[in-house]
Amino acid sequence: MSIQIQQVSKSFGSYQALHSINLTIEDGEFVAILGPSGCGKTTLLRILAGFEQPSSGNVLMDGKVVAGSGTLLPPEKRRIGMVFQSFALWPHMNVSEHVRFPIRTHKSTPSHIKNNEQNRIQEVLNMSGLSHLAERMPHELSGGQKQRVAIARAIAPQPSLLLMDEPLSSLDAMLRMDMRREIQQVHRNTKSAVVYVTHDQGEALAMADRIIVMKDGRIEQAGTPQEIYLRPETEFVARFVSKSNLVKGHWDADMFVPEGGTNIAWPGKQVANYFKSNGLYPVRPDQFHLQPSSQAGILGEIANIQFQGKEFHYDIRSDTKRWEVISPLPFGLNEQVSLSLSSVGGEGV
Amino acid sequence: MEKLKRNMIVLRGQDNGRRSIFSLPGLFRWNRLIALLGAIAILLFFVYPVLKLVLLSFQGEQGLTLSHYNELLQQERFWSTLRNTVYIVIGSTVFSLVIGTALAWVVAYTDIRHKSALHMGIMLCFILPSYVLTLSWSSFTGSQSWLAHVLQWIHPDLAPWSMYSMGGIVFVMGIHHFPLVYMFTLDVLRKIPRDLEWAARAGGASRIEVFRRITLPLALPGLTAGGLLVFLASLDNFGIPAFLGTPVNISVLSTLIYEEIIGFGPSAFARGASLSVLLGAAAVIGSLLQWILLRKSHASDTMQPDLTPRYELGRMRKPLAFAIWAGLALITIIPLSSMISMSLKRAYGLGLTRANMTLDNYRYILFENERVWQAIQNSLVLSLVTMLACLIIGSGFAYIRVRKPNQFNKMAELATAVPYTLPGIVFALSMILVWMEPIPGWNPGIYGTMTILFIAYICRFLILQIRSSVTSFMQLDASMEEAARISGAGFWRKWTAVLLPLLLPGILTGGMLVFLTALTELTVSALLYSSGSQTIGVTIFSFEQAGDTLYSTALSSLIVALIAVGGVILLIAQRWATRKGVKS
Repeated sequence: MSIQIQQVSKSFGSYQALHSINLTIEDGEFVAILGPSGCGKTTLLRILAGFEQPSSGNVLMDGKVVAGSGTLLPPEKRRIGMVFQSFALWPHMNVSEHVRFPIRTHKSTPSHIKNNEQNRIQEVLNMSGLSHLAERMPHELSGGQKQRVAIARAIAPQPSLLLMDEPLSSLDAMLRMDMRREIQQVHRNTKSAVVYVTHDQGEALAMADRIIVMKDGRIEQAGTPQEIYLRPETEFVARFVSKSNLVKGHWDADMFVPEGGTNIAWPGKQVANYFKSNGLYPVRPDQFHLQPSSQAGILGEIANIQFQGKEFHYDIRSDTKRWEVISPLPFGLNEQVSLSLSSVGGEGV
Repeated sequence: MEKLKRNMIVLRGQDNGRRSIFSLPGLFRWNRLIALLGAIAILLFFVYPVLKLVLLSFQGEQGLTLSHYNELLQQERFWSTLRNTVYIVIGSTVFSLVIGTALAWVVAYTDIRHKSALHMGIMLCFILPSYVLTLSWSSFTGSQSWLAHVLQWIHPDLAPWSMYSMGGIVFVMGIHHFPLVYMFTLDVLRKIPRDLEWAARAGGASRIEVFRRITLPLALPGLTAGGLLVFLASLDNFGIPAFLGTPVNISVLSTLIYEEIIGFGPSAFARGASLSVLLGAAAVIGSLLQWILLRKSHASDTMQPDLTPRYELGRMRKPLAFAIWAGLALITIIPLSSMISMSLKRAYGLGLTRANMTLDNYRYILFENERVWQAIQNSLVLSLVTMLACLIIGSGFAYIRVRKPNQFNKMAELATAVPYTLPGIVFALSMILVWMEPIPGWNPGIYGTMTILFIAYICRFLILQIRSSVTSFMQLDASMEEAARISGAGFWRKWTAVLLPLLLPGILTGGMLVFLTALTELTVSALLYSSGSQTIGVTIFSFEQAGDTLYSTALSSLIVALIAVGGVILLIAQRWATRKGVKS
């Protein structure tokens, strides 16, 4: 299903949650909407689901207006599946009843599924690795199993759009990693479009075909994970997605001369115009190269060290600023170091 | 019902006509129409009666006047009634507070065994209608009772203390109401974090000091609110003073109003109304205070109650358990069985031997006296209809109140609480005033029939259903419902497949509460009944007034049996719900 969101705004009383959002989602695309809490991402998802009416603007699904001025197609009449943050499993139904419910209830379930209900239930349960749990009640399931049931229920009637509202946020860290893989698998198998709302940039980067970064009800930047991560266009995206340090200095054409540096200039052909016109250079923690202080670069002192196994996370203090740096090289506390731009990832020196 | 169905069909027809896209302006118009109708109904049923009552108390032959109040204040009868009311209310409140708090502390904090059975035993005093408890105690302490025989055997001059006295009223009211304090305090105590007490112990405080300086101050808002609840219940209570006080000329405000209205003097309604305004004002002030106190302690709402024991009783465990169980048996089971044994006697005053035992009293009330049979039917129909009406209206309203909260809903909920907040006798009088002549000069013939009882019961008990349904809806996350809609469920499927199965246990508990309360109701029906529309409560009251103690105890015993059946049904329903995994 292709979805067009045209000039959609939403306000709750005097609070404006969305400011004329424009967005097109292609058939089969995995789109992640990424932003901190309160950025309007959940409101946007609920508008797509049909639980909220936009204050102005239209939502079109396959060219048909489903929400606009004076019209609202209710959620039960849209061909969508949804996975809720709290799973929203019904405590009085067992696993296979959960899967059966939408197949039987949804009017737009394709007839070949409706007529072979039992086969489809089996198929979906197998796909989600739940076959052996078919008779279990929700309270007899672990967190990850609940999540699988929620996904199985959402995909059972073959919806053409799958909405996911922070589906991994109530799972523990280890399980989250496994579930990412499973969600990718589901996307590959079902070929339906997925809109995935999250505040975790790792999830968005890992799974999405396209990421929409939102802030204060507006789209900050949209693009592929690589574009968003490697070439942020705004300060917010640089900080929120890639945790970049913003180095002050001045631009000379495509070369950047950082403040407080000695005899260095960094190449920055692909750095977005915003930074160039504001005299900034976004540097990701892993992009910094740490050297003994005798080398050229920005000078600083190591203020804190956290060992993470394959690398060290350093807090480095220079005259007025603090930098976050990730480096595999060992340095000691209070040691003097020099920071320069490494050639890792995208931008070469 | 028929009308509802027709509306649904109209709604659906429209829906199809618009090719399954809701027209929003149309939806808004429906919503507005429903809101408007709701507002009119609330004003008519809940607000107007109170206004009318207040107005009447100020109405003289020439415009507004204070003469009814003046007249009242000059009567010696009024002052003595007021004194009695104050003594009885304060006495029974203090009594309830002491027993209720002590029991709550034991159940909440100690490792006493069989807590849930104990809980049920304590609640029994409150579940029994006050007039049943009264009859039990008056038969237990009567001159022919076992107690009297036992005392006489100890010493010929010993006789039980007469329940027909101030002390008797205070005592019965106290044991009827202490479960209220107990329930309130139990929850408050369990929500006091144990760390706070540990911190005080670690800071060097002794156990007693911890209780005095940590537990008690923290529990105080809840305790006071519980006390106020008992205060309100005691003001409201009509059965106990009517059964125990009226024969010996002790009247309280609620019985005085009753006597005024029944007496039908020239200005009976006006005098009754001014008394009612005074009593109602006291009740409203009490409720406001309670509300403020509870709002203050709202922070503890999110706290999970801590169910594990904090104090080990050690060697005291068995003696204490024995004392509590014996006490509970003494105040409920033994008097109850004394009442039941009385109902089995051939004649009042005979000893309880096999020869004197008979089921004649039951045969009489069930098969020979048509009025009793009529009353049982009336009460059953009344409480069934009230329960169903409250289930539908109350749950529907609760749903809107929880899912789409706004100022209008909030005001509506407040308004529906009015009839239950007002003392029953006051509310009943306001019902008479409104339905005798809703518009001056027009008598729709509602007063004096069953209809007024239906209206009054539904208005008065609706809030019980609303409260329990609101609790059920709040516990159900909105995403449950949204998941059903996303899965394609429309209105009916959403309700029948998801919402109702999940909510039914909670909603039905509320419905059962409404049913049992309506079934055993006395106060409102005492004022509103007429020949042919008498209820069980009223019939027992008339038997007692006529001195037919054997019949009144027999009918009361029947009521106890009915309540027991209701309780068992409720328990089975809850079991069944738990087995279906709904609760966990």
